[in-house]
Amino acid sequence: MMVDIKKVTSLLEEVVSPSRVTDRDFDKIPYSRDLSPADPKMPTHVVLSETREEIQAILKIANDQDVPVYVRGGGTSHWDAFLPQEPGIMLDLGRMNKILEINERDLVATVQPNCTWAKLDQELRKQGLTYICSEAGGPAMTIGGSVMKAGGGPHSTAKFGFHGNQDVVTLEMVLPNGDIVETGSAAWPSAGKFKRQCLGPDLAGMFIGAEGILGVCTELTLRIRPATDISERLTATMKTLDDVIEFGHFINRHVGDEYMQGIYLWCDPTAPDVFFLMMDIFGYEREIVDHRKKKIVEKIKELGGEIGDRAPADDYFGRILTGLTDLFNAGVWHFFGAGSLRIDDITFLYNVWKEEVIEKRGYTKAGFGGQILPRDWLAFMVTNYREPEEWKELVKMADEIDEITLRGPVVPYGIGGRDGLRRFVAERDTGYYRLLKTLKKTIDPKNILQRGIFIPEEELL
Amino acid sequence: MRIEEYKDMIYACGRCEFCRGIDYNDRCPEIFTQHWESSTARGRMAIARSILEGQIEYSEDLAERIFGCFMCGRCREECKKAAQIDVIAITKAMRQDFVDKGIKIPEAGADMADTVTSSGNIFADPPKVHNKWAEGLEFKEGSGTLFYPGCLASHRFKEKTHILVQLLQAASYELDFLGDDQDCCGTPYWITGKMENAKEYAQTYLKKLQDRGVKEIITPCPSCFRAFDEEYPHLLGVEEFPIKIRHTSEILQEIVDKKKLKFKPVKKKVTYHDPCEIGRYRDIYDPPRKVLEAIPGLEFIEMSRNREHAFCCGGGGGCKIMYPDHSQTVSDERIRDFTETEAELMTTICPACEMNLTHGMYEADLDIRVLDIAELMAVSAGIVDPEILEPDYFPED
Repeated sequence: MMVDIKKVTSLLEEVVSPSRVTDRDFDKIPYSRDLSPADPKMPTHVVLSETREEIQAILKIANDQDVPVYVRGGGTSHWDAFLPQEPGIMLDLGRMNKILEINERDLVATVQPNCTWAKLDQELRKQGLTYICSEAGGPAMTIGGSVMKAGGGPHSTAKFGFHGNQDVVTLEMVLPNGDIVETGSAAWPSAGKFKRQCLGPDLAGMFIGAEGILGVCTELTLRIRPATDISERLTATMKTLDDVIEFGHFINRHVGDEYMQGIYLWCDPTAPDVFFLMMDIFGYEREIVDHRKKKIVEKIKELGGEIGDRAPADDYFGRILTGLTDLFNAGVWHFFGAGSLRIDDITFLYNVWKEEVIEKRGYTKAGFGGQILPRDWLAFMVTNYREPEEWKELVKMADEIDEITLRGPVVPYGIGGRDGLRRFVAERDTGYYRLLKTLKKTIDPKNILQRGIFIPEEELL
Repeated sequence: MRIEEYKDMIYACGRCEFCRGIDYNDRCPEIFTQHWESSTARGRMAIARSILEGQIEYSEDLAERIFGCFMCGRCREECKKAAQIDVIAITKAMRQDFVDKGIKIPEAGADMADTVTSSGNIFADPPKVHNKWAEGLEFKEGSGTLFYPGCLASHRFKEKTHILVQLLQAASYELDFLGDDQDCCGTPYWITGKMENAKEYAQTYLKKLQDRGVKEIITPCPSCFRAFDEEYPHLLGVEEFPIKIRHTSEILQEIVDKKKLKFKPVKKKVTYHDPCEIGRYRDIYDPPRKVLEAIPGLEFIEMSRNREHAFCCGGGGGCKIMYPDHSQTVSDERIRDFTETEAELMTTICPACEMNLTHGMYEADLDIRVLDIAELMAVSAGIVDPEILEPDYFPED
């Protein structure tokens, strides 16, 4: 597909200040990659929008000129989910980063999409509030990007889960045809932004996790809550994975949602039979937190596990997961063999890691980990690798592992473009996928938005 | 290409965007002024990698992204944690590649380096003008302790520099001064990439200092401080410069610690701007604060972005002369940080910061003085009249 670069530049400069439109190669190159090992993909233009009206105008140009639009938040996607699969306009939302309102009466905060979790939490904590269900990851992780991919992570919680659960209250989306849609209670013009599920279907759920193919998120209202003053951090080493599974069921069945933080499992490739657990307990009352801690410690001992020093967990959560310290010493990062699965099924993914990755392929640099969200695992394999020398080999190995993983009881987490997992979704041709394609065709008949992301272009012809 | 030396670092960028931080532009003055991801450290690593792989070439159009970096080190401070990429070294190498390849660099930058070569200072001052600040002061040739003000302090801040020497001499420092023999430290060479004369320049300068019997250099300028302490050893191929270098922040703290002067109350609310080149580059955060603490009556208020998180004044990396509009925009932002504190005085300890922040005050139409910490100390020690603290005071220089 050929794009008339100069013509599109000129049209964009008519609707957005010329200082916020570029078609120069050196400006476009940084937008050609994300955090993943996906091949570089260059946009034809980058445009920095500041308002939803500008986004409407950009989408109109894109429809008129048949040029796809891709959306850039913090640029830290792990699976090619926001890179230009075809020559097209990269919409950099960097300047739409404001906290619009913190409503401590209704306990909601409204933000623009490129506000980061860290920025929001910093402001909330000044008022004794927090958005507890944030992801791990760098400070550049934006709320819009995170919600549009239904993010989760070790700072998700057993009680509240990931963003797609209930913490997203309302969304404002600009559709590919320029229409503006508000979801939940915000859909009712004379009401406010306070409730997710009302006025018919939960349309927020349609956009969450859609990786931007159905609309550009321009505003989010999130549930916030008083900051928890009391917390405890525990570590334990379990003898077997079955013990970990039993412990996971204990958390969910016996004390269930009272535990605000899920358990986090880590297996190091140097000691694959050591099952290291980390867990945070939050609470408003010391008595309750102590009670939870006591129950956890008792159960771990009953299962033959050993309570350990909390220092490694502090190091992992604080220094590495949120501080990213030394993260790239052994090379850049890649997640693979990742997805959601039942608590009992963690053995399947662990065996893939141990047998296929370590024993069969002799790849000993990838660790295995996961966390129990409310009632399931979000599990993954992660490695450092050197670019460029190990790049292609790593991608080949990761693709093979993804293939094996997704044949099992694992639901892919993050779909992305041609270097992501979209082919696995397409080849299964489920009713879910057919409905998604119908929605996409209806909302975006010219396939303007995120063309080639999630759904290959030929699937929409 | 010079950047080949840094290939491992360039490829080590994990694209985590830690350099940009928790907000779009609250850390990096370049993205604050140029907006694009190509203005961030992550973007620059992507550009450098593309150049190494032959996908793009250095070009005149690219110059603003590379020479528009304020070299404030804010991104490097973050990257220390994740990937230890020396963004500043790579930026300097890229600038040098521009020059090596004969690609036009910002004219004002090239002129500045050429002016150093032709006149010995960045302002093309004749010695009489450049040394005017020293009128009425007596120096002790051969004392071994050289007071080295640098170009900005000599040319732009004559009164401040005069006061600083008065203060040091009152505290019994026996200072030598090069007088007409004083030349620029050479910083314009490495910030513009025009390195063709740099090694010879450093060799000549070292010989001049050694011939004069200089054992120690005291300078108020962080760039000069780092030039002698960091760049010269690199250029000369030695582990450390054979002459001891101290920035005045250390000397002022020494005056306090050793009780070399007595201080009277100064009833003012002040804040302090951390210069990038002594703060993030050299971890000198506490000495200026200890000096302020030692002055009775002062109320010290931190700006919201302080110490390693401090926002640049806009004067770094040669941007003040190469991209004056960007420089002013950054300065305006830093003045907004100042305004939030409701302080009566802005203090710092770097002539470049003092100049840019003063311009920021003018732009914001604020009657606020930007002072070197030494000036406050001199007032407190009774060496100069307190009138220099007042908003309507206007120095003759």
